[in-house]
Amino acid sequence: MSTSAKDDGRDVRQEQVLDLPEIAINRKWCKGCGICIAVCPQDVYTADRDGKPVIAQPDLCIWCERCDMYCPDFAINLAGKKLW
Amino acid sequence: MQTINSTALVQQYFRPKLPTIWCPGCAHGIVTKALVHAVRELDLDPKKTVLVSGIGCSSRATGYLDFGTVHTTHGRALAFATGIKLARPELTVIVISGDGDASAIGGNHLIHASRRNIDLTLVVYQNGTYGMTGGQYAPTTRTGQITTTSVGGHVERPFDLCTLAQAAGATYVARSTAYHFDMLSRLIVKGVRHKGFSFVEAISSCPTYAGRMNGMETGAEALTYMREHAVPYDGTGSVAQGKFPIGILHESQAPEWLEVYQQQVIGR
Repeated sequence: MSTSAKDDGRDVRQEQVLDLPEIAINRKWCKGCGICIAVCPQDVYTADRDGKPVIAQPDLCIWCERCDMYCPDFAINLAGKKLW
Repeated sequence: MQTINSTALVQQYFRPKLPTIWCPGCAHGIVTKALVHAVRELDLDPKKTVLVSGIGCSSRATGYLDFGTVHTTHGRALAFATGIKLARPELTVIVISGDGDASAIGGNHLIHASRRNIDLTLVVYQNGTYGMTGGQYAPTTRTGQITTTSVGGHVERPFDLCTLAQAAGATYVARSTAYHFDMLSRLIVKGVRHKGFSFVEAISSCPTYAGRMNGMETGAEALTYMREHAVPYDGTGSVAQGKFPIGILHESQAPEWLEVYQQQVIGR
């Protein structure tokens, strides 16, 4: 991280509440294998009719990056500034 | 290690050819991601890095990666890579191979590349089957496993590729799985930095053939299998029946081929 919370004078604890990634799913590349749904410890995703993930509960995401890590098709990306 | 950020990886290191041809749930994509993650960690210049692959599902990876890539004949990836390394020793050469490609068709190249201890890194995508041709058994298929050519259960004993490479003289031998992504990535980083022949076995999966016939129909079930059967290497390598050790299994120092050649032949 280039700027720490201390430098710009904001309260770190307040930001941590909002520390959620932007989950992007590339539905053209997704093959609906269901790995992301299975490995998510927080049940962020549910499957649609094709077995592809739908972001059902983004607020529960703990940013463990397991979906980003285990997606074999490079179809999930978690973007944002991670505070931890 | 930094965050994964797949989109940045794809933009930086991939040709605009995605999606891949691999089946839904195939862990080859995860292993390829670990490899590219390692390349980012090593900060290798794509113009000075060569990826060589043979034939098979795994070897299709070079088609998607934006490095100097060679998609060679079946089993001969190590032979081509040896030639590239001899002609241009300043290049980083990484070989991608499947288990059938590396241990059956190219088995001789594997043992002799190990014996020569030439500065290459071999990453074997090991899923225990010939996935591209329809799920025939490979030298790494486990005893009792059902495949399209062993419908009653495989009778032969499997090859332990790491032991083979170590016995043949490889100076860096490591194994990890697609499930142990961070470890796999770190092992590849160490393998590329290692001076000499580095052998990294990455346990992958084949949900379509080997998985479907053996109760692991989905990619997630194959990942669970890897999690439950991999045991961290404790220095002895003795594990319970059916399990396998992961980690750096062997590391030693030996004269590297190119250095010896430089000293004894060119520098004379």
